[in-house]
Amino acid sequence: MSAELVRVRGVDKRFGTGAGEVSVLRGIDLTLRAGELTLLMGPSGSGKTTLVSILAGLLRPSSGQVALCGAPISELDEAAVSRVRRKHVGFIFQTYNLFPALSALDNVALGYRMRGLPPKAAKLRAAEALAEVGLAERAQYLPAKLSSGQKQRVAVARALAGGPELVIGDEPTAALDTPSAMGVMRLLRERVTERSAVLVVTHDPRLEPYAHRTVTMSDGTISGERQGGAA
Amino acid sequence: MHDVALQSLLHDRGKLLAALSGVALAATLLWVQVGLFVAFLSTSSAIITRIGGDIWVMARGTEVVDNGETLSAGSRSALSSLPCVKAVRGAVIAVSTMRKPGGALDFVQIVGVERQQRPLVPWVMVQGLPVDLQAPDRVAVDEHDLKKLGLPEVAIGHGIEIGGKTAIVAALTRGIRSFALYPYLFAEIGSARRLAGLDEGQAQYWVAELASPACTGDVLAKLRAQPDLDAHRTHEFARMTEQYWVFGSGAGGALAFCAVFSLLVGAVIVAQTLFSITKEHEKELATLKAMGATPRELVSFVAWQASLLALVGGVIGLSLTAALRDLLSREGIQIALTFPVFALGASAVVTMCVLASVPSVRRVLRVEAAEVFR
Repeated sequence: MSAELVRVRGVDKRFGTGAGEVSVLRGIDLTLRAGELTLLMGPSGSGKTTLVSILAGLLRPSSGQVALCGAPISELDEAAVSRVRRKHVGFIFQTYNLFPALSALDNVALGYRMRGLPPKAAKLRAAEALAEVGLAERAQYLPAKLSSGQKQRVAVARALAGGPELVIGDEPTAALDTPSAMGVMRLLRERVTERSAVLVVTHDPRLEPYAHRTVTMSDGTISGERQGGAA
Repeated sequence: MHDVALQSLLHDRGKLLAALSGVALAATLLWVQVGLFVAFLSTSSAIITRIGGDIWVMARGTEVVDNGETLSAGSRSALSSLPCVKAVRGAVIAVSTMRKPGGALDFVQIVGVERQQRPLVPWVMVQGLPVDLQAPDRVAVDEHDLKKLGLPEVAIGHGIEIGGKTAIVAALTRGIRSFALYPYLFAEIGSARRLAGLDEGQAQYWVAELASPACTGDVLAKLRAQPDLDAHRTHEFARMTEQYWVFGSGAGGALAFCAVFSLLVGAVIVAQTLFSITKEHEKELATLKAMGATPRELVSFVAWQASLLALVGGVIGLSLTAALRDLLSREGIQIALTFPVFALGASAVVTMCVLASVPSVRRVLRVEAAEVFR
């Protein structure tokens, strides 16, 4: 059996206190294993983003346990969680979150630098990574000069920098046309290995063919799960 | 991470320019106020420090150089007879009335000192020579006081009525002005005595040179034992005069207040600038945090931006201050831009930027990494 990268057990998340308290997640159990591309689907407000934030250590659960790549992040302090995230997790965001002042090359190099590569080596690796996503010619462009699809490919290259075990994409294709969206999903799917997994939060049913597993959420709980569907 | 912080700051030229303008103006305000304050202090005691000597002897109760009383020739003899006293010079620093050409009455301050090897006062002459003051009743006035004295721009050779006597302008000084609002009239000691209505051998101060600094305490004690005399070390008397003007007049206090206030205003301007830059980069900071940046790295991100603003804004501010100093000196307003003023201003700018970055640092530390998903 493949390695367990994420283990979420009995997680609740509440915001606010007293009469204003809102329960966003209730009794979540979820496991993500290496070798899988998992889609996390569900209507807006179902708790997808909160769950992803918790399993990546960006938010703390109100109760329950979370382990990320073997580290019990729900029990660790912020600095320790940051170190786990830095080493093991890459992110892709709906709005790319590229650094506008940095070229495509420097944005990707930043991903490598965060994982400990010296600046020069990081740039060399970033140039290779950009070539792999078909953007070698655009390496020196600032994000403002790139199309949406190109920006997201830069973001993918940055997320994959240094080979993190878990890549989390939050609606990574929402702002893209179909060819660009499919291009991004192909890239992610190709990067799934025996050691790594990809989790994609999406509303987009076009992505289902790329998934090994689809988890559905509604009203703060996991309401369904199915295997397969991968292209 | 430092290069990312700097590149982010440099990326938006418009905001960078606004931020640098804020820091530069705050720094200029600070340096100008501190420079004005220091110039105020040094100008108020300039007569004492320029005349020099080891100790100054004066009438008992004298608090400030501008308010000296006439001393008799006998008190000079008492001073000269002390074993450690090597030389004594008389200094006339006296207020006298002046009748302007239009008939209005005003006051002037007459300054004359017995010479040593070379003339010490006035110390900056822009027209005329020291030798021109040697003829009787010849005076030097400051070029910025000509209007106040009712003199034309070409003032050399014109007469001024001082205490019922006529003095002739023989030289012009630059930037030697009194804080008592009375224009200085520099003259040879004999002319100064005549114009101030003093008898031969009288003066307001006796300035003594001592054979050894070790006997200063003894000499001071002997002089202070006399019922109508007082004596101070030169630097002590200069300090007394500075304090008199700083604490005794509203002007000094106002300048000190402005210097402190400009520090606060500068801190607020820089704080607002930094805070808005931090807010602008909040998404980038949240992204860095999500990527695993530690709180220390995030704080250094802001600190580098603050440092760059402080450095570049400070250099621009210093250049502006130097330009203002040159411009204002033509109008007779002095801004001291000495090394201590520079160091004080630079430390204040750095402190200001450090304090100003506190709200930004607090905000950075509160940035929710989960913001990246919003």
